[in-house]
Amino acid sequence: MLSVFICEDEEPIRVAEREYLEKQILMEGYDMEIVCCTGRPEEVLQKLSGGGGRGIYFLDVELKGASMDGFELGKEIRKRDARGFLVYVTAFRDLAFETFRYHLEALDYICKEDRTQMFAGIAGCLRAVTERMCEERGHEQQYFTVKVLDVVRHIPVDEILYFETSGRTHRIELHAERERLDFLGSMQELEQQLGRDFLRVHRSCLVNVHQITEVDLKKKELLLKNKERCVFSRKMKNRILEQVSVQAVK
Amino acid sequence: MTFGKIVCINLCSIGFEILFILGTVRILLGRIPRTDVRYQAVHMMQGLFWCLLLSVTGAVCYRIGFWELPLNVGQILWEYFVLVGWVLFVRLLYGVPYRTCWTTVFLGAILVSYGELLANTLVQGRVFDLAVWKEQREYLFWLLVLVPSCRFLCLFFVRRAGRSYRQWVEREDQKKSVLLLVGLYPVLSRMLLRLVSLCEGKSGENPLISLSFLLVIHLILVHVGREEQQKERILQQQVGLQQQSAYIEKMEQIQAEVRRFRHDLNNMMAGVYLQAKEGDLTAVQAFIRDVTEDFDRQTGSQIRLLNQLANVHMTEVKGLLLEKLARMQREKISCELEVLRPLDCTRIRSVDLCRCLGILLDNAVEEVCGRKDGYIHVMISSQEYCTTFRVKNTLYGMVDLGRLGMEGYSTKGTGRGIGLSSYRHVLEKYDFVLSATAVEDGYFIQELKIQEM
Repeated sequence: MLSVFICEDEEPIRVAEREYLEKQILMEGYDMEIVCCTGRPEEVLQKLSGGGGRGIYFLDVELKGASMDGFELGKEIRKRDARGFLVYVTAFRDLAFETFRYHLEALDYICKEDRTQMFAGIAGCLRAVTERMCEERGHEQQYFTVKVLDVVRHIPVDEILYFETSGRTHRIELHAERERLDFLGSMQELEQQLGRDFLRVHRSCLVNVHQITEVDLKKKELLLKNKERCVFSRKMKNRILEQVSVQAVK
Repeated sequence: MTFGKIVCINLCSIGFEILFILGTVRILLGRIPRTDVRYQAVHMMQGLFWCLLLSVTGAVCYRIGFWELPLNVGQILWEYFVLVGWVLFVRLLYGVPYRTCWTTVFLGAILVSYGELLANTLVQGRVFDLAVWKEQREYLFWLLVLVPSCRFLCLFFVRRAGRSYRQWVEREDQKKSVLLLVGLYPVLSRMLLRLVSLCEGKSGENPLISLSFLLVIHLILVHVGREEQQKERILQQQVGLQQQSAYIEKMEQIQAEVRRFRHDLNNMMAGVYLQAKEGDLTAVQAFIRDVTEDFDRQTGSQIRLLNQLANVHMTEVKGLLLEKLARMQREKISCELEVLRPLDCTRIRSVDLCRCLGILLDNAVEEVCGRKDGYIHVMISSQEYCTTFRVKNTLYGMVDLGRLGMEGYSTKGTGRGIGLSSYRHVLEKYDFVLSATAVEDGYFIQELKIQEM
């Protein structure tokens, strides 16, 4: 059961949203329930502090007379419900939605200027949420979750090539198939966290063994699937050969 | 004196010297960048070890008569040995380039010897005979009280030199001569000292030499620093002017569009007036919708852009953005800018920030340039502990993330690829800056995150 929250300071819109949502849930038979419909963000947070599962949140961006705006409220909600769905309902067309998506992983935003548009948006969001939930149930992909200063990133473990430390700092570079990012951490902890699939081939390098295609013993280099190379230390040679299939060895 | 005693005395005087040099370095280079307790404890231990090593080797040298070598060779070699050790230690602590460590430590050394010479003049340059107990006591008093206090007096006088020094350090050119001059100080000073004592026909050291040395360096620093400040001011003014003219240009564009819109509106109003009179409500509704959309398309986007830009309070960044946005407009690239919270300042120097941002934006522009549906999205988000800059553009080709950022690699043919590699180079010196690149849903995303305190 998903809990639905509405936080909107304009009374008529709030009522319209609520009525439409109720109708949709009934008509489409969604496994959802409206638990909170308010103009005050504190009330949403209070409801959330009691615990509970994942929720869908329809939030106004500009909350007049409230202690925080929609962005701050979203941040607070994220702290309590990391996997919930945030939908922003706004009158502004120049809403900085990318920022919302970046920091809060917001699902979508809906314009409330036009009622029919707003209703269509809400229906679309509910559909997207159910689709997303089905997808998640379908395949359980393993993710490597890392906090990069103020945002949390999830990277599929299969796509990670290797981790590399740069210099003397705690900065670690993650190289994946489709991205490359820095974060702060320690190699030792990473090694423990990631387990057998990753091998510390060098003091400064932790490699995904499934990504290794060739082992060049002469140059002491590993060739990875994306043609990148990384060096390994001599004492790791045997461990590498054990873990990488024999055919790949040159 | 026994060997142990010498080591102890050495330990004390070197301990003071450590404090003194650390003080000088603190003044000249600012705070130690990392405040992690464990990290600092490790360096503390390293420093102590170094201190101990110096005292023991010093004592050994004293015993085997290393100091008495002709032409002060022993003393000079010893001083270089100590100073090179210091350079390494400062490098460990601060992580700044070796050249900077070098000048900083040698300037510190000049101050050190100046303090010593000052203390020497106080006792009128007398030579202590350490075999006599009374003289030994006086020597200890001189070494452990007079010298340190004179040195700290010196330190007090240069306590404000830090800013101009850092400014000087950041200059790339003109440095080698000063580097050499400062680096040769131990040799030069002793040569001068010898000359002076030869002329005057009496032994003893002369603080004038150190003083003149300091004076020369001080003059250079002040001169260069002032020049630098002036240049910076001029640059800022230029940026300000450019920005203003770009802003005015934008405003004039908007005004022109509003005027055109008003002209059209008058004509259309005449038409809709008739329709309203006839009671054709749907036509009127359609008219209103058209007009709002028109306005939004024509002028709204410009105003929106300026609204977002108003949140950027860092002048240099604003100037850069204005320039790049103008370029995108010329190239007919659709662009959006998001600055949700005001950007007031960041921890990295604005020059470096502008350079990096410029590279990211140029990359984006070059990728979408000449394409019909090219789109660039720029997000600047300053949160409490972190500022994020994110540039996102439509991607047409393939990007080899593994080779991106290596010198010479570029998606745009050979002879390119300096952009991202110099971007990395700029960011290398900052520990608190994290960068990221990703390919996502047909977009290329470049990100720069700065950890704020």
